[in-house]
Amino acid sequence: MASLSSQYRAKRVYEITGSEGRRQLRLSDRVVELGEREFDWYQKVEAWLPSLRGVADLSRELGIDEAKVPRFIDALEKSGLLYRVDNAPKTITGLEFHARFSSALDSWLSQAFAHPFWERMMSGRGSARLFSGWLIELYHYTKNANRHMPLSCAHAHEKPIKQLRAKHYAEEWNHYHYFMKSLKHLGFTEPQIAESVPLPMTLALSNFMRQAARQDILAYSICSAVLEGTTVNRKTYSPYYDRSGELYGIPKEAIAPIYQHLDLDVQYQHSDLFKDILEHVSEISAQRASMILDYGHQLVEHVWQWTDNIEKYYQVESNPVPRPPFDFARD
Amino acid sequence: MPTTARAAELRTSKDLPLMRRTTTVAGTGSQVVIRHLNDEVVLENDAAHLFNKLRPELSGASAIASIAEKVAERPARVRALLEELEKAGVVSFQAGTDEGALISGMEFYELHRRLCKAWLEEVYVHPLWEKITAGKASRAQVLGFAFEKYHYIEAAFEHMGTAAANATPEMMPHLARHFIEEYTHGDIYRKGLRTLFPDDVILRSQPLPSTRALVNYLNETAQRNSFAYYSGNELLQMTENTGDQGAADAVNDFYDAMRKHYPYTDKLIDSFIAHTRADQALDHQDAFRLMCESVPPLSRRELNDALNVARNMAEHLLLFMDGIDTFYATFATVPRLPCDTLSE
Repeated sequence: MASLSSQYRAKRVYEITGSEGRRQLRLSDRVVELGEREFDWYQKVEAWLPSLRGVADLSRELGIDEAKVPRFIDALEKSGLLYRVDNAPKTITGLEFHARFSSALDSWLSQAFAHPFWERMMSGRGSARLFSGWLIELYHYTKNANRHMPLSCAHAHEKPIKQLRAKHYAEEWNHYHYFMKSLKHLGFTEPQIAESVPLPMTLALSNFMRQAARQDILAYSICSAVLEGTTVNRKTYSPYYDRSGELYGIPKEAIAPIYQHLDLDVQYQHSDLFKDILEHVSEISAQRASMILDYGHQLVEHVWQWTDNIEKYYQVESNPVPRPPFDFARD
Repeated sequence: MPTTARAAELRTSKDLPLMRRTTTVAGTGSQVVIRHLNDEVVLENDAAHLFNKLRPELSGASAIASIAEKVAERPARVRALLEELEKAGVVSFQAGTDEGALISGMEFYELHRRLCKAWLEEVYVHPLWEKITAGKASRAQVLGFAFEKYHYIEAAFEHMGTAAANATPEMMPHLARHFIEEYTHGDIYRKGLRTLFPDDVILRSQPLPSTRALVNYLNETAQRNSFAYYSGNELLQMTENTGDQGAADAVNDFYDAMRKHYPYTDKLIDSFIAHTRADQALDHQDAFRLMCESVPPLSRRELNDALNVARNMAEHLLLFMDGIDTFYATFATVPRLPCDTLSE
């Protein structure tokens, strides 16, 4: 018989709020409120599940009778904080998969953009230098689409999916020009930007997309869908650019091309592309579905670390902007 | 006709002086301190005053004669100072673009070691080391450090395998041997982690994006240029195989402090040490020198490519440290298990 710990796993908690007395744990579909003692127990169970320790160890840690441990775990499952591994369906259709992805997407995006950089920029504690840095890295990221989008076409096998991926590439491949236009209005020259090198995490994003493209076309497509999810409508992105313009004296001409680019994405309805692709997928095994979801969530974490890397580099006044490649003769 | 030239002779003209971009200068009066990589040059009195006059002109765009005229100095005096500064490594002379100039593998080896030592300094002073030795790191950061090291070592399968499969004829025997000697090393770390976690949890666990970034950068480079790949990998090897007693003592002190503050890592540290010993027993500190001895001379473009990969590797290594420090401080779940259809 499987051990108790191998039968359950913890649901992802996206945010924990509250303080002494009550804690609110936000899942993708609900908020679970726990008292201080229950929250402490929950944390102990969460740490115990992937460990080597037995039920007796957990009961000692919780200070409850060993016989009562399964009942407590059952209660956590009912609350939604844990789930039983064997409740997962063996297979799932493409559209069912899309529904699961869609139900998690908002939580994923909130995690991706939970980095303090955004609050800093919006509250006036940022700088024009940080704004430019973010834009330079966006330029590199967008240009690097040419490193992963065509690769995804090359590794797609079903005709309808190949078509959809190729159409997406055809619509996106030269969008880095929008960022170049913006950067020129911020005082950079075209050769300065074109010859510069991206930060490691910017490069990491496109390398991760290349990894996904080689492994599974749906893994690649979910990553693409997460990124497109950030540009569904103007309400998502306008406040950042408008506020940065006001706070840091960014000229309107530098912001206009960014809006043009984002509006074009909305117009192309790229956020619907993942669903269009999944309509062509009749069945996905549980193992493959897990792997695809995991790629999507890893991309979310990449965005968080990307933001961190940008903030840490560009906030240092002595770091060159843009970043030149190393040249033996000049460095 | 000789096929190689000394690195300094890659530049065919000695007339367009450039102060290296990575140089820092302190002081502007009768004493000037110029730093480049790990070197420091101190100029005093006349030399300092002359340098202060020349400094704004050292962009690589003006000839010595016109610089001398502009600052009202004798060209011979200007040239003498600049050539001394060139010897100290802080000034170079621009040659236009002589892409065909060659440097031997062994000259590259010496240059690479000097640059990598300087690039690694930032990694050695990363705050995470101090947090762990002082007992200020959280449990998630400490266990995260162990997991990320495991993922990085286990990824030898990916990048060393890719490098061997895409190697040039000269590099193939070295890369094949390196893969065969290293592919089991992830298991040494896994043995340590198995004292705390079930095997299937370790095998399913996910690296941080920053660790994945480091591995993927090696993978991508391994596909396109096996020598540049190893130039980057050698920087990583330099952190393990220093052959220097002082560095070895510092590593031992780090592990002792970790054991003291985090007793649950005892077996993990045994696995770290076992891995370092396994690496040292393989004499990997000589691997890159042997590669450099066997490769054909490098063009200026190849030289810059291989050095850029090494510098990028240093940045990725810093990112690797930063990821463990920052990400596990913010998201304290460890081990990082993958998604499934019910987890989200």
